[in-house]
Amino acid sequence: MTQVITLLRFMLLGRGPGEGGVAVARDARIDVIRGLALLMIFINHMPGNIIAAYMPHNFGFSDGADAFVLLAGVSATLAYGSLIERRGLVVSALKIGARLWTLYIAHLAMFILVCGVVAAAVTRTQNPLYIEAINIQPFFSDTLAALVDVLLLRYQPSYLDILPLYIVLLALFPLVYLAARRSPIATVLVSLSIWQAALWFGLNFPNVHAAGWFFNPFAWQVIFTLGIVIGLAMQRGIATPQARWLDAVALAILVGAYLAKTASGNPTGIALFNDWFDSVQLGSDKTNLAWSRLLHLLALVWLAMRWLPAGAGLLRHAVGRMLATVGKHSLDVFCAGTVLSIAGQIVMAETGFAMGPQLLVCLVGVSILVGLGIFLTWYQSLTLSGGPSAKPSQQASSQPR
Amino acid sequence: MALPAVAGPMTLADAADQRCRAGASASGFQPALPIATKTLRDTGKLTIVAIGSSTTAGAGASGEDKSYPTVLQDELRRRLPQAEIRVVNRGVGGQSAYEMLTRMNTDVIEQAPALVIWQTVAADVVNHVGEDKLAKILKKGIRKIQGAGIDLVMMDLPWLQRADRYPHYDDYRAVLKRAADASGVPVFPRYGMMKEWAHSQRFTPEELIGMNGTELVEAGYRCLAIRIADGVAAAVTTARPERTEARKVTY
Repeated sequence: MTQVITLLRFMLLGRGPGEGGVAVARDARIDVIRGLALLMIFINHMPGNIIAAYMPHNFGFSDGADAFVLLAGVSATLAYGSLIERRGLVVSALKIGARLWTLYIAHLAMFILVCGVVAAAVTRTQNPLYIEAINIQPFFSDTLAALVDVLLLRYQPSYLDILPLYIVLLALFPLVYLAARRSPIATVLVSLSIWQAALWFGLNFPNVHAAGWFFNPFAWQVIFTLGIVIGLAMQRGIATPQARWLDAVALAILVGAYLAKTASGNPTGIALFNDWFDSVQLGSDKTNLAWSRLLHLLALVWLAMRWLPAGAGLLRHAVGRMLATVGKHSLDVFCAGTVLSIAGQIVMAETGFAMGPQLLVCLVGVSILVGLGIFLTWYQSLTLSGGPSAKPSQQASSQPR
Repeated sequence: MALPAVAGPMTLADAADQRCRAGASASGFQPALPIATKTLRDTGKLTIVAIGSSTTAGAGASGEDKSYPTVLQDELRRRLPQAEIRVVNRGVGGQSAYEMLTRMNTDVIEQAPALVIWQTVAADVVNHVGEDKLAKILKKGIRKIQGAGIDLVMMDLPWLQRADRYPHYDDYRAVLKRAADASGVPVFPRYGMMKEWAHSQRFTPEELIGMNGTELVEAGYRCLAIRIADGVAAAVTTARPERTEARKVTY
């Protein structure tokens, strides 16, 4: 009962049970799930491969992207939220600005790499459909205009649309964080209203070669905001209430989503739901988010918070440790994964989607990404433990207060 | 092989367009377009919406004026000088059939056309969205357009020099054909035509596949438009046999 009151007090006023902030140890669940989401995004970005057919988005409404954005909100709170508390807004804003610049440069670098990979493939194979797959034609037909549009984030070829979203969301972070600190529930309500209003008025960021951004920031800020609230709850030491009935509701949502997604047509036979089943089975509204996506994600988050071992529990297994190293270096792995997946698409098509090469591409790609995570962890430990001057900063970053 | 005999003086451009008709008998396009015909007869106007992906958008061409919908508009205006013809380009590169379905109301039906040309399935076969799923999406789209009282033509997938990259390519073409046939929708035989063009030796590989292999370039778009214009003009002028007779001579 006290847990529920604590939770209510937090949701209304953003207060924790104790007086000050609680020191939180790095929760391995964040890194592990993010690592898993990154590997799933890599596999899903090679559509038509056999393993992608078994990825979770075939059996539920949300997918790796939803988890990725939510965890971006959680970890932004743990990193920059704590920084705002310790060092104030100006230092934090500068730090976030530096991160935004890194993300922007990463996005541009990835764009050039992808253009290069596709250009090389098209000139060597004479297969015009590679262009269709990635919608990279505008860059080849009108390079000057496309260059400016890329710099302004107004042109986003397929698969190069998550980082622009993340740039916008992270830029909004201080605002959302300060609001959530005062009242999480009010912040969530405002966030939901912005989403619904944007849907109503058809608002989206401009995209010169499509109707708008593939990930509409007006919609996806909802998931980021929820991530910030969850991060804040972790910071404030709010325990997940032992609510069995909520476990049951979450499970029911997952089972319902599985049935709706895998059924053929409308099993209920109620004509009113025909359109909904069609929209769920034929395509998902990823651009503008959908209540079904959001509910499904929340159910997953709830169950993860309730039943996945907190703290370092997941790191007891080798698989958990491996995924955590991937998740810790999410930007590097994401960028490498995007370029690799596009190269992988081309290899699969060139080999006629034969089973052997398909599995090999997936295996090699995942190995490279995991290897990259392990390498970067090793490299970091090397540079951090090496020099005497590096030590204090390591302590500071590992003990947010 | 000599070009077919042509009555009257022939411009250089006409001669270039003749090669577009290579193998026209093997892959014919003689659609029945009752609504477009009636609308043209009653109002003197014909509005066509071309919805599709990069082929429709005009990817690889030097400008919008070289895309197939614009050439189609020019050709129809030239052939039907009394009519008020408008071809609206609603092509968005890389889009799947489902993405087009979601913009069918705003991009197509609200334009109140008499005829829609739907070029799709390219992204779906590349991304292997699933044949059953695609069949449902196409059926919904066709029903939507026909339900709004609009004539529809579906465009077949392009012919590829190497088809084995996409093992389901012909299956997806079959899905498109079945969906169209089930609703009495004529299919513009792009695949067959391109194959004929490739074998006719009247096109360089660059013209067929595109500079750097990027897309059907302008010559290809032009031929696409010429052949659609042939079919549409013939269909909407069936009530005026003297025109049809006159046109027949040029073949």
